[in-house]
Amino acid sequence: MSKQEQLQGILKELKQALPELRSIVVASTDGLPIVHDAGDAPRIAAMAATALGLGKRISQTTELGALQETIVRGNDGYFVVYAAGDKGVLAVAAPADANLGLIHLEARGFAARLAQLL
Amino acid sequence: MEPLKVIVTGPVGAGKSTLIRTLSETDVVDTDAMASEDIGKAMTTVAMDYGTLHLGDQLLYLFGTPGQERFDFMWDVLTEGALGMLMLVRGDRPEDFGPARRMLDYLLSQHPVPHVVGVTRQDRPPVWSPEEVALFLGLPKERVVGLNATDPRSAVQPLIRLLELMLVDGESGR
Repeated sequence: MSKQEQLQGILKELKQALPELRSIVVASTDGLPIVHDAGDAPRIAAMAATALGLGKRISQTTELGALQETIVRGNDGYFVVYAAGDKGVLAVAAPADANLGLIHLEARGFAARLAQLL
Repeated sequence: MEPLKVIVTGPVGAGKSTLIRTLSETDVVDTDAMASEDIGKAMTTVAMDYGTLHLGDQLLYLFGTPGQERFDFMWDVLTEGALGMLMLVRGDRPEDFGPARRMLDYLLSQHPVPHVVGVTRQDRPPVWSPEEVALFLGLPKERVVGLNATDPRSAVQPLIRLLELMLVDGESGR
């Protein structure tokens, strides 16, 4: 199985584990989409990389330790960006009534698996 | 005197992060990520660079943008409230001049502020001179300054010019 197919497989599993997710984007840390199910993936990938890069820097500057995730919360939902190792970014969008704790639990595990492949 | 916010922008690889690292008097806030495409360098800015610099009594806040167009949303975010703009282009990469001109036109249409174009790599000939780049871009000569972003005495020159222009034509810079 090619790396791309393996990544697609992980994306599919994540969608099954968290069906409430509105979109999932896996990108490089410099903002290029790798696998996704989002309509506007190039733009989301760039923004996810920016959010992660800035989140890491804020975490470092304010002595919060290693970054776990960057969360954007709007009235209608969440956009959460996780580091997938040094090279990757996992971004998910979820509705406002989603269980954020469950999303973190699942997404962190998937991010670790993605990190092995990227 | 109020601090002045200056935006440092330009195409990828122009020397924006380098210039801010060379000049900043305080720890630079940078957001480098590994470049996954061939852009002639290992790391690239994904969110912003930030540094501070005094020119005489005047404190400047330097905000550097990412260079790749996919991060264009950050250009607007960072340019908000800026009172001056330094657009850097690599003097040995004329293919960047057109995109730089379009970037400058776009940013000035959104944020009409005093601006200077800095032509980097003047220490590494063959390189286009600031006069040649001014002609190419159709800009007045005084708005284009040559520099070497790794040398503090040289890197500060376009900011000195920008500050002069900000003091003279602070209202629009056009």
